[in-house]
Amino acid sequence: MEVRYDNARDTFIEALERHAIDELGIRDNPELIDLVKRLIRLETAKDLDILLTTKLKKVYKLIRKEQKLKARFVNRKQWEQETFQRFNIYFRIQHIMLFTSVIILIITGLPIKFPESSASKILMFFMGGIVMQGILHRVGAVLLIAFYVFHTGYTIFNKDGRRDFIALLPGLKDIKDVLQMIKYFFGLSKEKPEFERFSYVEKFDYWAVYWGGIVMVGSGLIMWLHNLTLRYLPKYVYDIAREAHSDEALLATLTIVIWHFYNVHFNPSRFPGSMVWWHGKLTKEQMLEEHPLEYKKFIKDKEGRHGS
Amino acid sequence: MKKIKYVFFIITILLVPFNAFSQAPLYQKCLLCHGRPGFKKMLPDGNTLELFVNKSELEHSIHSKLHCTDCHADVMEIPHLKTPGKVNCYRCHYKDNPNGALPANEFFKSIHGKLAAQEDPKAPHCQDCHGGHNVQKVDSPLSTVNHRDVASTCGKCHKAQYDNYIQSIHGTALLDRHIQSAPTCTTCHGKHLILKPDDPEATIYALNVINVCSHCHENKELIKKYNIPGGRISTYKESYHGVADEFGSARVANCSSCHRAHFILPQNDPRSSINKANLAKTCGKCHPNANVNFTKGKIHVNYKSRSTGILYYIGMFFEILTMSTLTLLFIHILLDLFRRYKAGEIGKKTKHGD
Repeated sequence: MEVRYDNARDTFIEALERHAIDELGIRDNPELIDLVKRLIRLETAKDLDILLTTKLKKVYKLIRKEQKLKARFVNRKQWEQETFQRFNIYFRIQHIMLFTSVIILIITGLPIKFPESSASKILMFFMGGIVMQGILHRVGAVLLIAFYVFHTGYTIFNKDGRRDFIALLPGLKDIKDVLQMIKYFFGLSKEKPEFERFSYVEKFDYWAVYWGGIVMVGSGLIMWLHNLTLRYLPKYVYDIAREAHSDEALLATLTIVIWHFYNVHFNPSRFPGSMVWWHGKLTKEQMLEEHPLEYKKFIKDKEGRHGS
Repeated sequence: MKKIKYVFFIITILLVPFNAFSQAPLYQKCLLCHGRPGFKKMLPDGNTLELFVNKSELEHSIHSKLHCTDCHADVMEIPHLKTPGKVNCYRCHYKDNPNGALPANEFFKSIHGKLAAQEDPKAPHCQDCHGGHNVQKVDSPLSTVNHRDVASTCGKCHKAQYDNYIQSIHGTALLDRHIQSAPTCTTCHGKHLILKPDDPEATIYALNVINVCSHCHENKELIKKYNIPGGRISTYKESYHGVADEFGSARVANCSSCHRAHFILPQNDPRSSINKANLAKTCGKCHPNANVNFTKGKIHVNYKSRSTGILYYIGMFFEILTMSTLTLLFIHILLDLFRRYKAGEIGKKTKHGD
């Protein structure tokens, strides 16, 4: 009796293993097959009686998790070796702060710009009315102002920040790059312009946000604190602030949606977007494609460090 | 003998119409007492109650063909012993009445009607506005509720509002300058369905005021004919007040918050709430510490008009900036796509998938 029972158990476990291997599609991966077998035996050893579908699902889940971890571990080593840290943690936090606040501000601000559109009415309904909209817009504003404070501090006190600010100043090379790009676009030249740390596109984006931010935060604060500002400033200043806020908001929204989204999401080599905003790393290929001069500098620095 | 039966029958039939008209003397009978000038009654509280009925007034009213008891239905004998009750107009002006005036079914939904139903002694009934014995068609010049005279009728109870109205631009236009298009009480408040200002259904509820005013102030013909300033509603809608109003904020300023409801006067009148001297006080109702700065610049700002000065040019600057920037960026995008297409990049699977 004992023997027969044991056989039944083994048969069952084997069937389970075959099923799991088929289900996961890991037939030609001996390492993972081994893992599956071990996990199934581990699970079944605990309590065979309640090994039902739910239990099996749990096993699959565990295996998948392990698989993912392993794949990530393998890739990570490779990843670390072949990528370049282009944006540090402060840079990435600033970008996340900026886009979070801008998305909030655009969504909460658009209904005020187009009050008679039915889409605005729907948006307003989901925001919970004009009072809630006002609160949310101010939350976005506070985040945006915090971003500007953070950025100013970063530019002044951080070594990378100072370097980036200087690298972002427009120069003669940018005009040359634009001309070269136009030549390249029309097929007059086969060479794309070679960019340094920031291309003219990125410089345009930076200064557009810089100018836009001053206009938006300035005019926004005049309106937010209107009872205070109108004590010292005539009403037409408020009207100017309102006009500028509304117009610059539209300009910024269109620029982001058309230009920035094209550059980072919708162009064929980027679609549907990358995770650079999260890890701040570019691969060698991407570096050579987009910032060849910066890549050369990276390599030089690395060699310099190894040499010393 | 059969013939005699028929004769009696025919005589009886012929007498019916005479019976119907035989109430005419009753009309005269009532006036035997009530037709005497100075016919009145002393009330227990010392006041006198005028009981005189002006015959010519009655004969010229829309109800001249009716008999006293058609309305005063509770008077059964002469002299009547009981004091007759209030006349109920709904006896004839009931719903779906084929002849006669349409009944004001809305009346009982109105604040007047609700209070009347609660037997509030101050609440008006039909006859309090339309008149009793002198009731006329609404468009008759003798009517108490025609466009010109309805204000004084309302003013019988709403004295303060009436006093303000007759001094306002609307009141003087209608009563002194006889401009028939000028609004009176009912133009804004409605006729029978008059509701309290805090009722969301009211025509003069904070969010509905703009609809009431736009009736004339957005009417191009009237604006042209009487040379009243145009673009008031459109500029209000562009302002933050207007935007918040559009999204249902009853807290925000509407037309009457600044221009007042009854005492509306043009800006050049020193009594006006929107006169430069009074503007800081008017704005100060909502904006604490409002000062003379509120008067520096227009309130109804038309951003698209050259007359707004610097604002117009700022708007234009941003328009040009937006147009030119986006045109350049768009060209850049199109050229980029064109180049990628030429290089065969589009259509192939991309390399970077991270």
